[in-house]
Amino acid sequence: MDYLIFSVSLMLVYIGLAQLLHIQFGLAGIPNFGVVGFWGIGLYGTGVLYVKAGVPLLPAMAMASLLATALAYVLARLVLQRNGQAILAATLAFATIVSTLVVSEKDLTGGVQGLGTIRFPFSDLEQRNLIFMIMLLIVVCALIWISAKLRDSRLGRQLVAIRDNEELAASLGKNTAATKRWVFAITCGLMGLLGGMSAPLHQFLVPYQLSPSLTFAVWIALVLGGKGHNLGAIVGVFVTFGLFDILIETYAPVPAEQAILLPNFKLFCYGVLLVMIIMFRPLGILGVDKPKVRSSTTTPPRELSNASVEKG
Amino acid sequence: MRLEANNLTKAYHTQEVVNIEKVTFGSAGLEGLIGPNGAGKSTLMGLLTRRITPSSGTMKLHIEDKTHPLNPFHSHQVARIGLIKTNQRIQGFDSLTIRDSLRLAATPARAEGFKSLFSGQRDSEEVEEKVARLVEAFPFADRNGYAMSGGEKKLLDILRCLIAEPKLLLMDEPTAGLPEDITRSVMDMVREKVQAGAMRVVVVEHDLPLIWEYCEYVHFLSEGSILFEGAPEEVKANRVVAEKYMGV
Repeated sequence: MDYLIFSVSLMLVYIGLAQLLHIQFGLAGIPNFGVVGFWGIGLYGTGVLYVKAGVPLLPAMAMASLLATALAYVLARLVLQRNGQAILAATLAFATIVSTLVVSEKDLTGGVQGLGTIRFPFSDLEQRNLIFMIMLLIVVCALIWISAKLRDSRLGRQLVAIRDNEELAASLGKNTAATKRWVFAITCGLMGLLGGMSAPLHQFLVPYQLSPSLTFAVWIALVLGGKGHNLGAIVGVFVTFGLFDILIETYAPVPAEQAILLPNFKLFCYGVLLVMIIMFRPLGILGVDKPKVRSSTTTPPRELSNASVEKG
Repeated sequence: MRLEANNLTKAYHTQEVVNIEKVTFGSAGLEGLIGPNGAGKSTLMGLLTRRITPSSGTMKLHIEDKTHPLNPFHSHQVARIGLIKTNQRIQGFDSLTIRDSLRLAATPARAEGFKSLFSGQRDSEEVEEKVARLVEAFPFADRNGYAMSGGEKKLLDILRCLIAEPKLLLMDEPTAGLPEDITRSVMDMVREKVQAGAMRVVVVEHDLPLIWEYCEYVHFLSEGSILFEGAPEEVKANRVVAEKYMGV
């Protein structure tokens, strides 16, 4: 049971990250390949503040998320107005720097020996892991709700316009650079929050957790599910992490001598799935969803009736 | 309303594309800018809207009592003070419908912040009305869908600029890619707005009959410099214009 709660909690973190990536890449068109870097700032920031500085867990998470936001803002100032490849390379480099710093700054992070122990909040309750999973669920639901709001809002429409043709959007008076910068910084800060919330899940932090495989897992999930669909992140994480890491690894009756092959088999399946999606459904399983807006259907009839009254 | 450029130059490497001692737009209601291919017309438009950075020179926009120096501006700031340009190259926002594209242009930037996430209605009645009026006025194949043909995209590009209600509108070859009758109704709509005092317009065109018909004042640009300016009749009669452009 505890293991299932742990797996589901981890899956929620993945869904949250993929949801934020949906905002960054699916809506605003920013190819962030440094997901693990911002998540890692949250993870290790929370860990260091909690273990070394004795800050309580929740304030530590908040501070670490703010740090991730601030660093994302600075990075955005430096690279966000460059082209896609430059952003991709810079964010990937950022994540590498974070993981290298975690290894080298032993006094703070414990280096390769690790950092711990980070306890769950409400640590005297027996159901603390379940309570924490519910907290994660609330955060992830809030993220999904906010990105649905964003899709239906004027800001979301501006982001889509920036993604489609930034120069044209700017020529219509949109401050595209500032909008992108703030959306990037805030969503990266929320990735940091998810990192902070991952700290008590892992309890013991090691630099291995900051490998780029997290970034790729989130990207694969989002591309499979549908980068332009608000629920693409959920579907994508279910068919990757949910299917392989939870269902097959935990419940499939695989003989022990073959079990060691499972991770490789998983990667193989990811690869095949990805190729098939890109060939047959390039927009992902769910495709793209349109803003759900009430206003547009009501106006035209009123408009026409007004005109006819005036003429009459 | 006066858009003024002084000693404006733009050079790519050693090739000078624009070199204008002084030019003023916006004194008359509807002005034309003509000149042969490669004269630097589009570059000049790009410079004035700050999409292109000048090599040297100053640009100023006088609106009412205020003078805005344009050199330190970004292109979105130029648009916000009321100087907007339609595009020669056909382009658009591929994921926005015709209506959404117009709504986007009609929405002022201050209404598009993070607060807009929590407003119940996306667009105000005022914006919806403006959009409906424009969409109904032109024969789009699918008024609730996307701009499909190049002509529709070109038309939408112009309408986006009109709905943003600029003080000075620069039109870069509005007839290129548009059917004759649509061009006429667009230009009639533009002239109506100009005569109502809502805005002033500069049209860059190769379609000379259109220039002679609609424009009150014409600038002639050749090899990067303004060689002649005047009323359409004077420009038509000018020897330099005839030699350099009309091939007489």
